[in-house]
Amino acid sequence: MKQLKYTLVLLLCAIISSCSSDNDATTENLTGQKGSIALKFDNGVGDQNFAFNTTYQKSNNESFQLTTDLKYIISNVRFKDQNGNEFAVPEGNNMFIIDQDDANNAGEIFLNLDNINAANYTEITFGIGVDQDKYTQGATGQGNFLTLAQDKGMFWSWASGYKFVRLDGIYTDATTTNGALAVHMGSVGTSLDNYKEVTLTLPNTVLVRTNKSPEIHIKADILKIFDGETSVNFADGYNQVHTDATETPIIAVNMQNMFTVHHVHND
Amino acid sequence: MKYLKLKSIVFGLLIFNSCAKSDQFEANYEPIPLQVEKPSNFPDIEYTIENNPVTDAGFELGKKLFYEGKLSANNAIACAFCHEQAFAFTHHGHTLSHGVNDGIGFRNAQPMQNLAYQREFMWDGASTHLDLQPIIPISSELEMGETLSNIVAKLAAMPQYQKDFKRAFNGQGVTSENMLKALSQFMVMMVSANSKYDKFVRNEDNVVLTQIEQDGLNSFTTNCASCHATDLFTDQTYRNTGLPVNPQLNDKGRYNLGQNPADLYKFKVPSLRNVEKSYPYMHDGRFTTLEAVLDFYDSNIQGNSGTVDNALLRADGSYGINLTTYQKESIIAFLKTLTDYEFLEDERFAEF
Ligand code: HEC
Ligand code: HEC
Repeated sequence: MKQLKYTLVLLLCAIISSCSSDNDATTENLTGQKGSIALKFDNGVGDQNFAFNTTYQKSNNESFQLTTDLKYIISNVRFKDQNGNEFAVPEGNNMFIIDQDDANNAGEIFLNLDNINAANYTEITFGIGVDQDKYTQGATGQGNFLTLAQDKGMFWSWASGYKFVRLDGIYTDATTTNGALAVHMGSVGTSLDNYKEVTLTLPNTVLVRTNKSPEIHIKADILKIFDGETSVNFADGYNQVHTDATETPIIAVNMQNMFTVHHVHND
Repeated sequence: MKYLKLKSIVFGLLIFNSCAKSDQFEANYEPIPLQVEKPSNFPDIEYTIENNPVTDAGFELGKKLFYEGKLSANNAIACAFCHEQAFAFTHHGHTLSHGVNDGIGFRNAQPMQNLAYQREFMWDGASTHLDLQPIIPISSELEMGETLSNIVAKLAAMPQYQKDFKRAFNGQGVTSENMLKALSQFMVMMVSANSKYDKFVRNEDNVVLTQIEQDGLNSFTTNCASCHATDLFTDQTYRNTGLPVNPQLNDKGRYNLGQNPADLYKFKVPSLRNVEKSYPYMHDGRFTTLEAVLDFYDSNIQGNSGTVDNALLRADGSYGINLTTYQKESIIAFLKTLTDYEFLEDERFAEF
């Protein structure tokens, strides 16, 4: 009898608690609540961490090291929640430069996004580079991003356009040892649009609340820039990529496929 | 004691009063909208004015910046250094423009006029937005050799500029966005549409062309207007006119943008407005007179390793446009009717 009583109590407890947690998910009122999300970018090369002045092998017996620059522009970050609603990071603060020089000792580059609507997010989308809509508005909406881009060498000086990615270093192939490597890909005016978007499903739901600041750990495999959707060779001219109408779209697509979400922290 | 108190009250009032006055002045400032001129013989405006509506304060700030040496590394080279009003805002006396440290650029400065009506800028179209064009001369080591962040810092350190920016941009401070918008507000207002020719085509002030000018217009329409089209006198495309390549510069023109072989040695068709004043001619300023330009079209197109434009192909397979001496003379007489003295002397655009 006594045992039964305990069981009942336990059962009741279980029901109540499960009910209340169900309630949480369906009726928790999140309207007006804002939180933040930190994106943690982590550049690697294949299964190695990225470091400057370190030689990495690629296909075709070619190798490279980056000596000064590893940077790319991320923009139009937005999230989709479990009900399919999209939330875009507010305009005016939705263009960023991921710069290896800004990395902490663990090689991580943090991008803190504030004023994010509280929700349970299951998907992230972001652009690589600057889209044509924004670009064709000229200075409008750029704030000081132009200044930042110029300071970080991400704006061409001979044409008015952003470099979406900037890799500077040296490469070695069958005929060249330590030749100059420069991949500076961007859109070319309005005639060549190399802006690309990436959508990644989050391995577990990201819970944004006023008192919760989750972290999304995004890995970028730099090797994929050369050995991605298409494998390209330095020997064929990919040691210098600037505005070429055939080379740059290949690099853009390769970059589109270099990101993965490694894990999510809900604190 | 009582006296002292009174005195301090009066003093206090005075301070209060003067503060209130200057604040009031700023707070009460209502920007006066300015209209970009839309002449009836022009095509549509390309610049998105809604994104950057022109006001008197924005225009005045833009003009100040245009004449401001602080936009360059040595604080001496303003935009106006290479773009002088009397010569349709070109670099008078220079085939190739030079800038900071006497660096010589690669190209002849283009006139600045009717920029609101242009889709792309520079001889090769390297700039697709007027707001962003100034970044090129600013950052070029051969021109102004400066960075946006240094300029923003230099201007922000000057109280007058802080005030000017606040007035022009609704209380906002010195940013690169606002600096570029102010420059654009100045530039889009630079409309040249009051030449003799304009008044003639718009039937204004009973202006008529002389016989030789009218003959020139007719020859021009037949021989030149396929490229120098509309009343902007450019179809805004890029063409290879078969100019022999200057080996010292080997300027490949639009090819530089996307390395497309079809773009080799193509340059933007320039507007011919104020062409009498904007000498020397062509992207590298190789011709000093209009006579030399017309002789080139008539008999000196030698070609280059790119593909010369079909419009310049004669029936016999050679390149050129056959022009008699009278046709050349009359075309030049016509081109001189495109000189717009009202624009070249317009005090709104002048430094002083
Ligand atoms: C050192 C000389 C020099 C300076 C200083 C200079 N420019 Fe220029 N500008 C040029 C030359 C040369 C060109 C043609 C460039 C080309 O095609 O490569 C040009 C082209 C332009 C054009 C394009 C016109 C068209 O029809 O496409 C604009 C607009 C312009 N300049 C504005 C400016 C502004 C604004 C500044 C100041 C921020 C400035 N320039 C400073 C030499 C100069
Ligand atoms: C195939 C198109 C085409 C035709 C036809 C043409 N032009 Fe041009 N014109 C151009 C281009 C492109 C340039 C600039 C070339 C360069 O700098 O490399 C130019 C330059 C000029 C210039 C120099 C302007 C400056 O600011 O430097 C003048 C003057 C001129 N053309 C007059 C004429 C006349 C007059 C005719 C007819 C007899 C004519 N053009 C026919 C395309 C054309």
